[in-house]
Amino acid sequence: MSESVQEVKGGTRWMRVRSAWQAWVEILSTRETGTAMAWTRIGVGLVTLHTMTSIYTSGVIVPLWANKDEGGIINLSDKNWLVQLLGGPSLETSEQLLLMCTVACALLVIGLGSRIAALVALQTSIALFSLHPGSGGGHDRLITNMLWLLVLVRSDVTLSLWCYVRSRRWTSSELIYAWVRYALAFQVTVMYWATGVQKMGMEWMPWGGYDAIYFAVLHPAFARFDHSWIAEVMPLVRVATAVTWIWEVTFPIVLLWLWFRRTPDRDGRLRRWVRRWNLRLIYVVIGLGMHSTVWALMDVGPFSPITCTLYLSLFHPDEYARLYQRLRGRIPRGTAES
Amino acid sequence: MTTRPRWEHIRGVLILLHILAVLLMALPAPEGAQRREAWNDPTVTAEFEAWSERLNHVGYETTPDDLKTDLFTLAQDFTEVRKTVLSPARPYARYLGTQQSWRMFVAPHRFPTRLHVELKQAEGEWETVSIYQDPDYSWKADLFEQDRFRSALFRYGWKSYSGARKLFNQWLAREAAVDFPDATHIRTRWYKVQTPTPEMVLAGEEFEGKFVLGQTLSLAPYRESP
Repeated sequence: MSESVQEVKGGTRWMRVRSAWQAWVEILSTRETGTAMAWTRIGVGLVTLHTMTSIYTSGVIVPLWANKDEGGIINLSDKNWLVQLLGGPSLETSEQLLLMCTVACALLVIGLGSRIAALVALQTSIALFSLHPGSGGGHDRLITNMLWLLVLVRSDVTLSLWCYVRSRRWTSSELIYAWVRYALAFQVTVMYWATGVQKMGMEWMPWGGYDAIYFAVLHPAFARFDHSWIAEVMPLVRVATAVTWIWEVTFPIVLLWLWFRRTPDRDGRLRRWVRRWNLRLIYVVIGLGMHSTVWALMDVGPFSPITCTLYLSLFHPDEYARLYQRLRGRIPRGTAES
Repeated sequence: MTTRPRWEHIRGVLILLHILAVLLMALPAPEGAQRREAWNDPTVTAEFEAWSERLNHVGYETTPDDLKTDLFTLAQDFTEVRKTVLSPARPYARYLGTQQSWRMFVAPHRFPTRLHVELKQAEGEWETVSIYQDPDYSWKADLFEQDRFRSALFRYGWKSYSGARKLFNQWLAREAAVDFPDATHIRTRWYKVQTPTPEMVLAGEEFEGKFVLGQTLSLAPYRESP
């Protein structure tokens, strides 16, 4: 191959990379109104607020977040920088962290200084969860993941006290960057996909009888009550087991659907086929049904509400505006699909 | 093609790194691989039996023990690779809470345990004061049934969590020493029983379980130095 042909090929490759990079930067520069992120902020704030207050009101703070000589089960971990800054692990430190996190979450809900509030809520909850790692679950990681992304976005431009203070109105059409919402949509996709591909228990498989949900809801550690009655509705339970696993593993389809919707100028057989249905809505409805059932039957902490809060990021702010107007009767159903 | 300001390119790189970190954190984490004894739990053993039977069925000759050994080695190696791959992203995840290691209901626990707490008065019989989720024996039930405690109790019921369980038993002894001034000893045990199949539930049958992981502690030391 002559040198000039190699140069042309190399140049074309470089142009492609450059073009893809420009497209990436372009996507990240997209702006939109802040409604979706405002609802996400309120949702995350409420769930975290409830998580923190329930630790205090249920009385588990002493056994789980105090040292042995203060009435706790273990001697708390001192690895976190904030814990060290507050004087080391102790019941007093735990209470300070809990109080700071509660105040920060309240500010997050009402929308006042929301980026600082998210940062305080994030660091205090990381510190609190680090003190006794055996007392939590994946939902704690999900909370901190979402709080970090809320640090990076002006989620209080609308539906907030800050908006009211600035403009004497509760809502605003001020634009914010959309990339944090995209990152949350990516997060929910990765979460479901990762948990789906790790479900290797035989009971999730057709040859295992699709009994996984049956055994999961009967586990005494997490069952709210005795659910032996579900043995009478096994066909339904087996369908739910199969749907859950397929739904989780194929969740990336939602991201694909959102991408296809964002690029309507492009065409192709797959695009036409995928866009024929509102796949996002189908996945969200299944998810809400699944999480409501988990919440009703099992006590797994804030797992269901915090996960459902992530769904808020799957919708464009214009869709919230249309829903609001539809609810107020301004737009007849079916006329606003653009 | 539009020319974007330099800071937008820097932001592009940072967001790409965030996405990469989240993706890497989502790599399957076979944490159980670190605890070889957890592989002997009946739930895990049943999984291996079912999988080896399935593999034999499709022409791959193996036994549950061979499969266990092979997968244990593979899981150890994978954990090492995962650890190395994740090391650059660790500080980011640690300080900004971006871990994404999700393993929800990987395999249902078919041999769950239920906590039983008993006390002994001087020269008396053992008296049950707490059975998890039994309203007739409800000492500490308000704590045990809070979601944070449920998570901890779930772990204590595994043989491999012996250190954490020991600390929990000592805490129960400290609490019992105060709440039951006449008691001399405390015994904690976990009733381990296989979850009945749907057919058995409908027929009103259940498996016979057994008490495991028992520990008896004298309350005297906890009264002297609480």
